[in-house]
Amino acid sequence: MKKPRLRRVDTFVQVHSQVKVPPKPGYNHRNTLLAPLSSRVRTATPVRPCGSLARVDLNAAAGRRRLRLPQRLGGGWLRRWRSATIATASLRRARSCGACWILRIRIPRGDAGVLELGMAGSCPSVAQKALLETPSSRRLSTPTKMNVRRGSHRARSIGRLAHVHTSGNLEEQTPRTLLKNIILTAPESSIMTPKSVVKPVPTPQVVRSSRQESSRGSLELQLPELEPPTTLALGLLAPGRRKQRLRLSVFQQEMDQGLPLSQEPRGNASASSLTSSLSLTFASPLQTQSVQRPGLARRPPTRRAVDVGAFLQDLRDTSLALASPGDSLRTPVATLPTDTVLEDTQPFSQPLVGHSPSVYHSLPFLSHTEAENSERAVSRRTQSSGSRLQNHNPGKPAQLLAGKAKKIDVLAVSLPNNSSAISGEDGVEPLQDGVGEEAEERMEESLSVSEVMGSTGTQGSVRTEKSKGHGEMTEALEAKEPEGSSEDEDISGRTASPELASSTTEFLQARRPQFLEPAPPPSTTVLSSEPLEPLPTRHHPRARTHGPRPRQDPHKTGLSHYVKLFSFYAKMPMEKKALEMVEKCLDKYFQHLCDDLEVFSAHAGRKTVRPEDLELLMRRQGLVNDQVSLHVLVERHLPLEYRQLLIPCAFSGNSVFPAQ
Amino acid sequence: MAFSTTVFQRKYIKRKAPRGFLKRVFKRQKPHLRLETSSDLLVHLNCLLFVHRLAEESRMNAFENKYGIIKKEHVQAAAKITKLSTNFKLGTTNLGTFGLHLKKLTFRSYYKTRFCELLVSHFLREVD
Repeated sequence: MKKPRLRRVDTFVQVHSQVKVPPKPGYNHRNTLLAPLSSRVRTATPVRPCGSLARVDLNAAAGRRRLRLPQRLGGGWLRRWRSATIATASLRRARSCGACWILRIRIPRGDAGVLELGMAGSCPSVAQKALLETPSSRRLSTPTKMNVRRGSHRARSIGRLAHVHTSGNLEEQTPRTLLKNIILTAPESSIMTPKSVVKPVPTPQVVRSSRQESSRGSLELQLPELEPPTTLALGLLAPGRRKQRLRLSVFQQEMDQGLPLSQEPRGNASASSLTSSLSLTFASPLQTQSVQRPGLARRPPTRRAVDVGAFLQDLRDTSLALASPGDSLRTPVATLPTDTVLEDTQPFSQPLVGHSPSVYHSLPFLSHTEAENSERAVSRRTQSSGSRLQNHNPGKPAQLLAGKAKKIDVLAVSLPNNSSAISGEDGVEPLQDGVGEEAEERMEESLSVSEVMGSTGTQGSVRTEKSKGHGEMTEALEAKEPEGSSEDEDISGRTASPELASSTTEFLQARRPQFLEPAPPPSTTVLSSEPLEPLPTRHHPRARTHGPRPRQDPHKTGLSHYVKLFSFYAKMPMEKKALEMVEKCLDKYFQHLCDDLEVFSAHAGRKTVRPEDLELLMRRQGLVNDQVSLHVLVERHLPLEYRQLLIPCAFSGNSVFPAQ
Repeated sequence: MAFSTTVFQRKYIKRKAPRGFLKRVFKRQKPHLRLETSSDLLVHLNCLLFVHRLAEESRMNAFENKYGIIKKEHVQAAAKITKLSTNFKLGTTNLGTFGLHLKKLTFRSYYKTRFCELLVSHFLREVD
């Protein structure tokens, strides 16, 4: 029931609002609760704490509501009553806010502090928007010292408004009702139909056994059935229009799938058709789903016309061993979409030559657009995030050897696209991990290109080419992307050792002269041992860039958090340089902040910075004044959990948390 | 005791404060000082408000110049204004403790304090 819940909100709101001022030790809460409340409550009865206390007022309110009397307490409340109608829409918004739901759900007994907070604290903006009219009227009426009470009034008025307007209005916007509506009005759904068909099975008493029919009918629904339209009609007419829609979709499927499939169930007349239909359904569930729910269908990736001739030539160029996989690839083209998608998402835990070339060769059939590159980047990132650099290695050289042809096309056509995905990582050049990945890619492409050129001497030129390309692309990128990717890779990279990253680059560099030979299928053991070997020897060429990185990165990632907040607050598109400027400002700000805090704590004779110092700082800054207290700011801007830690609240048993 | 009895419906906080980052920054700047648990969050609050003010200012600047995008210059100008309004201590003066006793500080009072400090320092120098 809604009403009692809302009442509780009011109670606890009231109770909490009294504890605005942190009480001195030994302070009796009851007195504080008494005094302000008695001014509002008409009945001057001596009140007992908490529940009974609050209930006094509420019962009066409930009585008034029953009698449909206007709210008491004069003009402000009346205005609020009138503006309630205006605010219903906004109220609905407020109610549909996730935080407000949290408020309603989380109403344990005796926890005064928890409830009202959810309303006011975590959804301040919504609550403020929701009560545009009401606060304005309220502020006129209420006295000045109503900082916390404002929040309480907000919640209270929400409660009252909810009360006033029938639950029907509010029901519309609940997730539950939304779901209900969707379920009721949504078109057919293959997932739902079997159940729905099974449900009305007992009701229509048809000739055959009901359950068999239903199951058969459900199965046949997915099939392009023609044979028992009558049976279907018998079985499905009762449930109604949902089944008719199904039949239409089924008809569609039938048309799509063609006659051969439909003829099969026709041929089998009896129970054997069940099995056949069963088998058939399992074959085509995906398709049916996609037909019935077009939004859920996996779009087959747009494929470019593959230059098979050039592809084959390149294959032949590389090695004879790869010719066979090349042939085998052409056949599974039809099943590529799902396969490639599935394969790409899987980590490269099996570095089989058979697998990797197929995977890699399948890639050229995909579009050479950002989709592919992002996919690769994503797959790479997922790999790296799983700290699978080692597995990455065995996978990669195999792919390199196998997929050089693909690389050519990639490089030639989609270099900018490629580098756009990579330069995101390139932008994090200073990162060890980024270097690892990016270097790997560089090595990859340089390897492939150089292979095509057929000379090791061109590697240097290729590298310069790539670096140039990278240099161009980095400027085109947003600063956020490197920051974002840096964050990801930072997190991921911390798991993987930096030595591994450098070792992989060394390893790939070492592999370069070897790629010309048809490499034997690389084994994980061999490759895992190899990174360790070149480590001590090849560390030098990469050691230059390792200097200031570890100090800058976490600092920058932490700052980027606030930079993102800046861009969020600004609500306007920003330039990269502006963001860098914001970073500098934040740096300076932090320095100033620390200095100030030091001075304040020294003034108090302490060596620890305490919240009082912070309050003084905010006073100096003008954020906190007599009108706006620190608690209000905490309420407004911090999430609920932090507010609990900061603002002392009274809980049941006369205890205050956090302790004063 | 009361804290443990509350049950949260959600398991994660939407906008977490980077407490580790803040603590690390503070330690780097002032290794001889300590930062308390709650003050960590208040520092985060302060940062939020600062960033908020900065963003508002830069947004206003951009609007004034009729730009659809916030540019570096807007941010710079906004930063100047915001820094001034936040009354950061400008280094350590001999009479640095003056600023501590003031409760309300506005633009005017800020400049007054500076002016007073200058005057007094000047006077003292004269005396010397």
